[in-house]
Amino acid sequence: MISEKLKLVSRVQAINWNRIEDDKDLEVWDRLVGNFWLPEKVPVSNDIPSWGTLTAQEQELTMRVFTGLTLLDTIQGTVGAVSLIPDALTPHEEAVYTNIAFMESVHAKSYSSIFSTLCSTREIDEAFRWSEENENLQRKAEIVMKYYRGDEPLKRKVASTLLESFLFYSGFYLPMYWSSRAKLTNTADVIRLIIRDEAVHGYYIGYKFQKGLQLVDQAKRDEIQEYTYDLLTELYENEEQYTEDLYDGVGLTEDVKMFLRYNANKALMNLGYDALFPKDQTDVNPAILSALAPNADENHDFFSGSGSSYVIGKAVTTEDDDWDF
Amino acid sequence: MDYHALNAMLNLYGPDGRLQLDADHAAARQYFLQHVNQNTVFFHDLDEKLEYLVEEGYYEPEVLEQYSREFLHRIWDLAYAKKFRFSTFLGAFKYYTSYTLKTFDGKRYLERFEDRVVMVALALAAGDERLAEHVVEEVISGRFQPATPTFLNAGKQQRGELVSCFLLRIEDNMESIARGINSALQLSKRGGGVALLLSNIREHGAPIKKIENQSSGVIPVMKLLEDSFSYANQLGARQGAGAVYLSAHHPDILRFLDTKRENADEKIRIKTLSLGVVIPDITFELAKKNEDMYLFSPYDVERVYGVPFSEISVTEKYHEMVDDGRIRKTKIKAREFFQLLAEIQFESGYPYIVFEDTVNAANPIAGRVTMSNLCSEILQVSTASTFRDDLSYEHIGRDISCNLGSLNIAKAMDSPDFGRTIETAIRSLTSVSDQTHIRSVPSVERGNEASHSIGLGQMNLHGYLARERIHYGSEEGVDFTNIYFYTVTYHALRASNRLAIERGTAFEGFADSAYASGEYFTKYTERTWEPATERVRQVFADAGIAIPTQQDWRELQAQVQAHGIYNAYLQAVPPTGSISYINHSTSSIHPIVAPIEIRKEGKIGRVYYPAPYLSDENMEYYKDAYEIGYEKIIDTYAAATQHVDQGLSLTLFFKDTATTRDVNRAQIYAWRKGIKTLYYIRLRQAALEGTEVEGCVSCTL
Repeated sequence: MISEKLKLVSRVQAINWNRIEDDKDLEVWDRLVGNFWLPEKVPVSNDIPSWGTLTAQEQELTMRVFTGLTLLDTIQGTVGAVSLIPDALTPHEEAVYTNIAFMESVHAKSYSSIFSTLCSTREIDEAFRWSEENENLQRKAEIVMKYYRGDEPLKRKVASTLLESFLFYSGFYLPMYWSSRAKLTNTADVIRLIIRDEAVHGYYIGYKFQKGLQLVDQAKRDEIQEYTYDLLTELYENEEQYTEDLYDGVGLTEDVKMFLRYNANKALMNLGYDALFPKDQTDVNPAILSALAPNADENHDFFSGSGSSYVIGKAVTTEDDDWDF
Repeated sequence: MDYHALNAMLNLYGPDGRLQLDADHAAARQYFLQHVNQNTVFFHDLDEKLEYLVEEGYYEPEVLEQYSREFLHRIWDLAYAKKFRFSTFLGAFKYYTSYTLKTFDGKRYLERFEDRVVMVALALAAGDERLAEHVVEEVISGRFQPATPTFLNAGKQQRGELVSCFLLRIEDNMESIARGINSALQLSKRGGGVALLLSNIREHGAPIKKIENQSSGVIPVMKLLEDSFSYANQLGARQGAGAVYLSAHHPDILRFLDTKRENADEKIRIKTLSLGVVIPDITFELAKKNEDMYLFSPYDVERVYGVPFSEISVTEKYHEMVDDGRIRKTKIKAREFFQLLAEIQFESGYPYIVFEDTVNAANPIAGRVTMSNLCSEILQVSTASTFRDDLSYEHIGRDISCNLGSLNIAKAMDSPDFGRTIETAIRSLTSVSDQTHIRSVPSVERGNEASHSIGLGQMNLHGYLARERIHYGSEEGVDFTNIYFYTVTYHALRASNRLAIERGTAFEGFADSAYASGEYFTKYTERTWEPATERVRQVFADAGIAIPTQQDWRELQAQVQAHGIYNAYLQAVPPTGSISYINHSTSSIHPIVAPIEIRKEGKIGRVYYPAPYLSDENMEYYKDAYEIGYEKIIDTYAAATQHVDQGLSLTLFFKDTATTRDVNRAQIYAWRKGIKTLYYIRLRQAALEGTEVEGCVSCTL
């Protein structure tokens, strides 16, 4: 189905990175390439003792949160980012989407490597079964999938941005929370690496959306705006219930909802729209908000983790001048 | 609000756009109110407390029995009278999470900070009341802070060793490799980091019993070590941690580095073991000429020269070995080697680097320095051990251990008696060496008995400079560093000399050292060292600290040549992670990483830490390491290095816009400036514009 729609923008023209039509493409491409990582580099097994200190209920919550995230990353990797390719305005934009799609698959796999390190097969299967049976999670997936399959490029981008900048965060809350309490800190390193990526993905797709919006007339713009707020509201209501399902047991629901609204506003901002929720309803716990910054600036202790700040360096050969001694 | 949330407010600007430093004070206060006070076991008085703690097996009775009951009361009163308060949340949190004595179930606290300080002082003073009081004075005032293993363990009955660092050689035979792994397990169990030298192990594909292509090289040994370290840890208090060092001219060098690649295969990927590369001067010369660098088979080198590869100066023998047909060799481009080094550093922060020839030229003790330790500040000579068929020792060589402690430079400058502060620190550290007997690793025990090596470190340089409104790395900043270390060195040597006089003995091998020959002293007796800037002259005058004169040095030289010094090594400047948080210092002599540092560790999670003496008004003196750039950091370190007998952990900081070429340039600059070792490369990547969190302090840099 996707393949029918997949038409290269310039059929005979090879992609020329020396002729950049939109500088943002190169900037984001460089950033994404530099940010490349694989879950194997993080010593998640150092979290095993910490995992053992969680109560059974907390462990179950954590597993469920991660299966939920796995599901979203699966959608984004296999359908979401790929569905954006045919709508690309430049060949470089296509290339960026392929990178996004690949990294989403890396994310999906990294949850599995967290699972296999911390939990037994039976527990993992149990959690995946929960994710298949949880109405709100499935509903969230359906809503997004519906728009990915529709024919409206702009709406696809809206759905994608909301997914990247909003829907992931009900799940991200938990590892941030654990990390501020010295639990599962290596797992949190993995999640920080994912957040580092998602922040760029959401921002970029939102940016491309705004570019696309400039090409349509006012009537269409109004329609899209209305659609965006409707979709966000629909997703938000569903997300509230999903959050209650997950977090009621540990008493964090209200705090997570603040965080949801904060990120909903952030997603709208990425799309160039005004915030929906007033400031007093987005009063996120400072411990979570401070942890959310996508900067790679944690001064980690090398003996307990590998950190989340390393990037693939740019290799440049030294010249004779450099060796002038 | 809970204390974690209050602490996190440090990373968010207040509504008025100012730093919320008060929130951190509130966090520290709430931490005590909500958590510490409720979870501390209450005792009616000191006698009841001590009796309970000894009876239940928490305190070592031998430590307390050295003193009279009356004295114990006096010293505890002395400590509590100082009204110590933690000035940051992280300081308190770190102390109670990682250091203080807890009930065996780990649920309740049995000590306050004052109790820990007194127990450390009593243990180190070994019955000397005056020394015990001095140690309490120095530690509780924040001038001297023993390293983690000492501060964590001293006086406790269930504990690990007091020593920080171990360095072991591995020779090219199975007995030595197995002994190395065994020692790694034993030493990890007792705490402290362990570094092992791999340079002497024959390379991948080398013959075994003359049969070609048999050896599998250094990688499988690294795998074994990595697993050993993650298996053994010190009662869970400290994660086992290890490092391995390899010569740049070892044939496995590229494989060694590739273990840290982002896409390395699971079979060869090294996750938690730290790597270090030993680079001689010749490698730089070859790179300068853009030539190939030859890698030499350690197996053949040992057969040709009759000594292990690490005992050969590659710089000296390079051309000889290139021309020697008996030595198998491969070659790579020297510049490509350096570039690869930088690439791996970008991806992982590793490897550390030891500039081998610089280190050996500055080493005052007879013998060869072939490696460093887990934090790249320990640089001492060692000798090989040999084994019999039944795996017992045929000859016990000398391996290295070192215990550390650091002075808070700002507080030391405020000391009423600078010389005594240093002497107390030297005596405390020496006491750890005297009390340590690592029987499970005879070569380490032997080395310690012979050398009594210690490592006096320094921290809070940036904090001090900012407080005095001097920019880090400025002319005045470098000038201060020079004169400070110069003065410390004088007092440290004098203290070690006094110890030798009191005990009537110097370290083994003193007679062959540059101290005995007097060569060590020429740089101090033949020229004058004094401040080059008025500001620095002023800060020393204001502090009432006399800067040693040439005459002072001549007198000291005479004393040293007559009586020796007790410690073969005296100074080493460690990176000071944990202890600088407790002490509210900036780490080591580095610049800060951020005015509000985001600290992440396994045991404490993500916590925010304000630089000492920081306020909205003096922000300009708190430029971070990434802004300051490598030249100023290296200049500062170079000023200190010339006075320090061992090494100084030197991390290089780069923004993510840097390239491998920038990293190489920094390494070349460091080597030219006489830096002995380089520690981690740290990178900071700013968030892509448009993706930051609003009002976040760390995003606005």
